[in-house]
Amino acid sequence: MDTVHFVIDKPQRWDSSFDPDMTEADVNRLMEIRPFSEMDVSKFSKRTPLRGILRNDARIRRFKNGEIIVRAGDYGSSAFLVLSGHARVVLNPGLPASMLGRRKSQYKSFFQIVAQLWTNPRDPEVRTAAELEQDSGVKVSGKQRGVFLQDVPRILDEHKTATMAPGDFFGEIAALSRAPRTATIFAVGDQTELLEVRWQGLRDLLRFDDHLRHHIDRIYRERTLATHLREIPIFERLNDEQLKRVIEQTQFGTYGDYDWSGDYKRLAKEGTRSPEKETIIAQEGDYPNGVVLIRSGFARLSQKFGHGHRTLNYLSAGCEFGLREIAHNWLQRTDSVPFQQTLRVIGYTHVIVVPTAVMEEVVLPTVPEDELPSRFTAEELAGTEQSETQRKLDAGAKIGPELMEFLTENRYFNGTSTMVIDMERCTRCDDCVRACATTNEGNPRFLRHGQISGRIMVANSCMHCADPVCLIGCPTGAIHRGQVGGEVIVNQATCIGCSICSNNCPYEAIRMVEIREEDGAFMVDKDMKPIVKATKCDKCSDQIGGPACERSCPHGALRRLDMNNLDAFARWLNR
Amino acid sequence: MRGFLRRRLLWGSLLVAASVAVASVYVVWAGATTRAAYLSGWLLFAVMVLLTGYNWFKKIPYLPLGRSEVWLEFHIYAGLFTGVLFLLHVRLRWPTGWFEIVLTVLYAIVMVSGVLGIIISRGWPKRLTARGGEVPYDRIPVIRRQLREQAEALALNSVAEAKSATIAEFYTRRLHDFFAGPQNFLSHLVEVRLPLNALLNELGDLNRFLNEQERKVTAQLVTLVRQKDGLDYQRALQLTLRLWLFVHIPLTYSLMLWAIAHIVLVYGFSAGAR
Repeated sequence: MDTVHFVIDKPQRWDSSFDPDMTEADVNRLMEIRPFSEMDVSKFSKRTPLRGILRNDARIRRFKNGEIIVRAGDYGSSAFLVLSGHARVVLNPGLPASMLGRRKSQYKSFFQIVAQLWTNPRDPEVRTAAELEQDSGVKVSGKQRGVFLQDVPRILDEHKTATMAPGDFFGEIAALSRAPRTATIFAVGDQTELLEVRWQGLRDLLRFDDHLRHHIDRIYRERTLATHLREIPIFERLNDEQLKRVIEQTQFGTYGDYDWSGDYKRLAKEGTRSPEKETIIAQEGDYPNGVVLIRSGFARLSQKFGHGHRTLNYLSAGCEFGLREIAHNWLQRTDSVPFQQTLRVIGYTHVIVVPTAVMEEVVLPTVPEDELPSRFTAEELAGTEQSETQRKLDAGAKIGPELMEFLTENRYFNGTSTMVIDMERCTRCDDCVRACATTNEGNPRFLRHGQISGRIMVANSCMHCADPVCLIGCPTGAIHRGQVGGEVIVNQATCIGCSICSNNCPYEAIRMVEIREEDGAFMVDKDMKPIVKATKCDKCSDQIGGPACERSCPHGALRRLDMNNLDAFARWLNR
Repeated sequence: MRGFLRRRLLWGSLLVAASVAVASVYVVWAGATTRAAYLSGWLLFAVMVLLTGYNWFKKIPYLPLGRSEVWLEFHIYAGLFTGVLFLLHVRLRWPTGWFEIVLTVLYAIVMVSGVLGIIISRGWPKRLTARGGEVPYDRIPVIRRQLREQAEALALNSVAEAKSATIAEFYTRRLHDFFAGPQNFLSHLVEVRLPLNALLNELGDLNRFLNEQERKVTAQLVTLVRQKDGLDYQRALQLTLRLWLFVHIPLTYSLMLWAIAHIVLVYGFSAGAR
């Protein structure tokens, strides 16, 4: 019989502040700097006042010459404001990985892996004191070691860079859209001082004050949009003057709800998910008034079929819509074709629209004709023939239209590591479940149960979403992106067991568990209530061999798949 | 060429090559030395140790030893290879003496259970998927109880609502046992639906004694009977997919113990024969 004798405090919001060394003097100083000096403190809630946010969700960091502030490809959950000194953002093609000093992943050593044979605790959900005290994910430390670029003058000579001056904000798009950093930014000179705001604080700042939102929009248009457009082949031949004209005319559009999971869960419960209820970004048959570029989130590409709509594909960040129609009309000049498909928002989608007039006057003339999308043929427009371009776009034809609808309806396209089970190979032996439990504190991190379409089951397991809504609302930032693979992991030290992530997850992949100490006794707080932590699949991120579930399936029935790589999915289906 | 077919061809080619090589060496050695049986015996034992190791491999999933899928393929084809080795070892003769007969029978059961196991492992998941109503094995008793409670409530309520005990009587006579526990295990395994059809026919026949209100109740009962039958189907196949290992694995350990005893006896009594 377990005895209860371990008592710890139940953590609260801001118990674990971003930087315990932040002082009132620091906050006073920040309150005199734009944009904080322009903010109306009365608009902030009493529970999260502006000063509280700056004190607890922000920290002041000083960087030395050449020290990397953010690296392209890293997942980060904070934004930066330049307070003094300068930083440089490396424009495309960016710095090579070797120069960026990528840290090795924190795998267990071979000895540690073998030692699990005798060190794995007998009881489930045991946490050691070290696990609960360590805070490698978000805790601020003055001793934190940075990565330095070795030869800054040469880098400035050989790479295109842009200067970030005091007052400039960066990193907010990656932090808020939970996407990887798009560029590397490093400090120039030893006097670079930045304010780092973790995303929970940034979210509150944007919620209570329009100033910062306008500030960010303006900076986004001035700096990030140029970088973003430069990455797209069709815009790469524009000179600075032409690019400036495009940027001036570009429109932003945000559709859906940033916290879309609640709405999705409600619709799923009501069984009323259907394309017709989704907001339309661009409609089939309408005049193409601009090229739509998906900035973040997802959109459904569908076409009329009978009395309904057939999903052809889902578009994610980096995809475009409408370019082929606009290019066709520009080349043809007569008999313009309308949009051939409909684009609908799924969840939350942030788009950039480059108007047709700008495309025709500025962009398309810079592109050689052989690099433009192919023109529509008469047969294609009549629907009697499918072109190569259409075939590539029609993912439903590769994996089957039913499966395509299934993935879209259930928002599974969000998964970068979705657990897919081929039910015609799965013998229901539960080897995967046992392997998961053996590798993860004696409790499986998934259920071998879930939605089924045909022979495919998507199990209730964390999919490590491209848009991980579970991160929204975590008061301490305990749930975060891993530094290497971008997997979504829970820092057990800072998790306060509030269940927000678990409730937010649309796929019910996060479970709350009562944890134990090493002798098997349940951990309790001062009120003798059990300490609860969020648990989920972390893709066995500390194991050399990768996810135990996948390795342990004797029949090759289980696979972790990126739902944005439907070619790989199709290959696996037809293996 | 598709992945599964390519791998089958690769493993099959390896099996054929290994079998031909071993058989050739054995034929040459058998004419030249009397110790060929020792070679085949030790080789057979070594492969059997590797095959037994697969069970241990599955218990330590955190060790980076590769994918279980590949190890199972090795297990299957190496298992078939032991058949060749076994036949060479016994020189295609039926064993003599009770010890060798037990050893042979154990080997045969392990081999046959393995082959049957792999046949049902490859074929039955398709049947389970095609039938639908997927349910985790450990949830089956819970769902069965829910179905039984729903059926009982329908039968009981029909007495008060229709002022007739016809359905309740039928439930007691024919449906109580059906909903009480798993039914028609063998019929499900061999995909025979006679018991279900018989029960549905009886429910259909019952309609001639019922009024309109009661017929609605029997229609609901038919739905529940179909659901219960589907649940029994899932249980029968899922249970068998697990149970065959309870024959294969314990007998493998018995076989290994018997084989060790065989080796000890061979070395104990072969000194004079050399």
